[in-house]
Amino acid sequence: MEKPIFEVHQLTVNYDKTPVLFDISLSVPGGKLVGIIGPNGAGKSTFIKTALGLVKPISGKVEFFSEPLKNVRQRVAYVPQRESVDWDFPITVQDLVLMGRYGKLGLFRFPRAADYVACDHYLEVVGMLQYKERQISQLSGGQQQRVFIARALLQEADIYFMDEPFAGVDIATEKVIMDLLRKLKSQGKTVFVVHHDLNNVENYFDWVIMLNMRLIACGSVSDVFNPATLNDTYGKSFSLFDEALKISLQKSKGIKP
Amino acid sequence: MSEQNPYSGNTFIEFFITMMIRLYAFITGNLSFENLASDEIQMIVLIGVSASSAMVGTFLILRRMTMLANSLSHTILLGIVIAFLFTKDSVLPNEAGYAEPINIQAMMLASLCMGIVTTFLTEFLTKTVRLQEDASTGLVFTTLFALGIILVTLLTRNAHIGTEVVMGNVDALHLDDCKLIFIILLVNTALFFLFFKEFKITTFDSGLSRALGISTVFYNYLLMVQVSLTTIGAFRAVGVLMVLSFITGPALIARFLTDHLGKMLLLSVLIGSLASLLGVAISRHILSVYGIALSTSGIVVSTISGLFIAGVLYKKYQQYRGRQGIAKSLT
Amino acid sequence: MNSFQSPFIFFTDAVLRAPTIGCMLMCLTASLVGVIVFLRKQSLLGESLSHAAYPGVVIGVMIAGFFKLSDEDQSLIALLIMVLAFFSSLIGLWSIHWLSRKMKIKTDSALCFILSSFFGIGLTLASQVQFSYSSLYRQIQAYLYGQAATMTDVHIYIYGFFSLLIITVICSFYKEIQVMTFDRDYAKCIGVKIKPIDTLIFILIALAVVIGIRSVGVVLMSAMLIAPPVAARQFTNKLYLVFILSGIFGMISGFLGNYLSVELNTALAIKYPGDRLIIPTGPMIVMVASFICLVSLCFAPQRGWFLRIIRIGRFRYRCISENLLKAILRFCHTNELDGISFEKIEKYQSLSPFRLRYLLFRLCKNGWLEKTESGSYKLTKDGKVRAEKIIRLHRLWEVYLVNYLGIGAERVHRNAEEMEHIITPELEAELTLLLKDPKQDPHHQPIPPREIF
Repeated sequence: MEKPIFEVHQLTVNYDKTPVLFDISLSVPGGKLVGIIGPNGAGKSTFIKTALGLVKPISGKVEFFSEPLKNVRQRVAYVPQRESVDWDFPITVQDLVLMGRYGKLGLFRFPRAADYVACDHYLEVVGMLQYKERQISQLSGGQQQRVFIARALLQEADIYFMDEPFAGVDIATEKVIMDLLRKLKSQGKTVFVVHHDLNNVENYFDWVIMLNMRLIACGSVSDVFNPATLNDTYGKSFSLFDEALKISLQKSKGIKP
Repeated sequence: MSEQNPYSGNTFIEFFITMMIRLYAFITGNLSFENLASDEIQMIVLIGVSASSAMVGTFLILRRMTMLANSLSHTILLGIVIAFLFTKDSVLPNEAGYAEPINIQAMMLASLCMGIVTTFLTEFLTKTVRLQEDASTGLVFTTLFALGIILVTLLTRNAHIGTEVVMGNVDALHLDDCKLIFIILLVNTALFFLFFKEFKITTFDSGLSRALGISTVFYNYLLMVQVSLTTIGAFRAVGVLMVLSFITGPALIARFLTDHLGKMLLLSVLIGSLASLLGVAISRHILSVYGIALSTSGIVVSTISGLFIAGVLYKKYQQYRGRQGIAKSLT
Repeated sequence: MNSFQSPFIFFTDAVLRAPTIGCMLMCLTASLVGVIVFLRKQSLLGESLSHAAYPGVVIGVMIAGFFKLSDEDQSLIALLIMVLAFFSSLIGLWSIHWLSRKMKIKTDSALCFILSSFFGIGLTLASQVQFSYSSLYRQIQAYLYGQAATMTDVHIYIYGFFSLLIITVICSFYKEIQVMTFDRDYAKCIGVKIKPIDTLIFILIALAVVIGIRSVGVVLMSAMLIAPPVAARQFTNKLYLVFILSGIFGMISGFLGNYLSVELNTALAIKYPGDRLIIPTGPMIVMVASFICLVSLCFAPQRGWFLRIIRIGRFRYRCISENLLKAILRFCHTNELDGISFEKIEKYQSLSPFRLRYLLFRLCKNGWLEKTESGSYKLTKDGKVRAEKIIRLHRLWEVYLVNYLGIGAERVHRNAEEMEHIITPELEAELTLLLKDPKQDPHHQPIPPREIF
């Protein structure tokens, strides 16, 4: 395998004393479309949030291009879940997309003419140029998702993390996003997508990370995406582990189970 | 008062000794209600206020409705003004504040109405006009309170009313206030006793309660009515803003000490009463030893804060011990 | 009441200009900072911070009394009070954070407890000042509900400086504030330094609160952080305009509040000279600001509640009249009659007879129906075309639901009843194209053809 651009070493993340991710280690080569799948509550969103430094792990580390995130921030872009923001915020589509340049601009500098032109370009790529001046609450779900993606595109990064971009969008938007992902891959970029739907994994992705609190599998779709691993991911075999962990924590706190 | 206050000149410890002696005398029938010293009246009223507030406060902090209580404590002023408007002939305000009490029934009625009006207006702004909840709450109470202040200053032509409303006037209390406070305390206790299950379920699981046909909205309004009653009872003693400390403080301390709702109610009442007791004693002590007359209600609030810090330290100590326990078991 | 003074005097007269300009500057800063607080949905933070500043005010006065400062050292006293109030406020802020973060207390309980405890402690200390430094006690009173009248030019310089500071900071960090408030996680990802800028924002809020409490008072300060931004938001969807409008509304409130307060006090002094009555400025400013806010909420174009109600009413009226036309067309078609009597219509509708008559009257007046000599109602040509169009849209939509989305034919009727009033001509064109101009709906009823000309 070529040199991995994304490596995770023994990552453990807790939420209020309960583990959400436990001892995850994996590596992913560049230029892949990676699907992150697992049942609800398996820690998929938490995984990418931890990788991006939004959540602090109990232990473990994450490296991008063999370096910690803070050295290569400008090369990593994030598309959060649509529900995570208040769409009633008084900004237009253009204002939102321009945020993609704020990291590069830094403090005390405002977007320049070149940034505006680039913004228009990426708006057109996602098919939202004519909505440039609209306030964001006046968009449909699929349009909002596209605008979010345009913002990430404006960062012109090498790695993209997307949290459930296909959730609740119309068919046209789904097609736009998929075409976009393929275009990014053809340019050698790597895209990580938290995906909730098992049906399209083989169509959309060529690499997959299967999570259910622990890492079940990480590899190319042809190698690891099979009924055995799916059963391990979605089946019940880890409830015992869960239970044992809970009892152990209770005992150490001195609570009677 | 014709006779000298038996507590004057007492230090902190002496205060309790005097109190015990008088309590014994009261129990054996040698002391009657009319002979109660002002310190004791203050104590009784403050304990009554703390007990009511603590019970109401327990549910408020669990239901995250404390800022609505804050809102209510402000808008009550407007209710008092309206009550004053309607009963103007029977009131004679003068320099000392409300030497003649405003018609109590009118005040209670007005405060209940204001409680409902405040809750209703806030809900209206949130649900119908679609304004975010924090802004709705803030808008409603500041507007109504501003209106209240302007009206109160105009109508009573007393420029100090504004301060009194907020500070209370604990020295002007007398026996009738005790009666009022204890009626309110009784009502609160009765309501919480009768509706304990309903309050419990609407606080912790509104989905289930709706499925069982128990209306969360009704108990919200009921709780707000109780807050109004408690605040009105308290406003003469501690003023409308400090009653919030009585409401939130003891309940939060109790939360540190237990996870069980019943215990929490009991503990918060005990802690509130303790703070009142200590507060009056400290106030007397400072007056006797340093000659400074501080606001007694303010001292009780400071005592509650002191107990709160103690509670925090206790909690931290517990956590520390817990971590020590884990470390020990791993070696 | 005698006539009001001219407003312009307020800017020039030596006594009046300090309070006027002072109030305007204070309200300006509060309303600017209030926009940030409002968008972060932390509007009640201002309430806690202003109450938490109170002990600082009292301690400031106590120090002034200790050093035997008198009324002549106004600037020093004001500065002292401001600095201590600021620190007191920051301590309150830090306590709130610590309580909600480390002690797992819910935010609203932390806010409420800190505000009442700090305020109570402040009042306790104030009761001491009342006896020991009674001449300075008036200063404390001024900060409870605001008393702008005793401000001097020195105050303008101090507050003006801080106002400028706040405006500069907001402009410099505009994009960071924007992205952090909108999408905090994303801001973190692109490398915005969240912690320092958060701290900066909180310092700004504390500063704005502390500046404002002289004119609006501790108890009511939060109103100036809430009302102007809420009002501004109703008029625009652009962030920078929200800031500008909020500032303007704030300044208007500051000016008018002060102006009305002065006029009212003058009038009262004439009417009740013995009482020495003074209405504090704070409540007046708040009343003006709230009035502006409520008017904006109800009548702002686009978002105003009142206008929304009217729009909803108009839409409902349209739905009901279209349904009526549809029903009449169907009835005439099935019974092969030309017109329908009022009684028959009444049977099929759930409207009250009074409303029904009015509705029919309006439909006739607008040319969709006509009344024959026998008293029955008949569709005009236009009415027939409109009714057919509604039916067409209804059935087209049913075809879309059944054939494209796979919904069972028995379930599409309800939804189509709503959609038939909403589908625009553009949508209709798209549907016709997509469904290849169907002639029958899922219930095998014919679909009226499209209007050609």
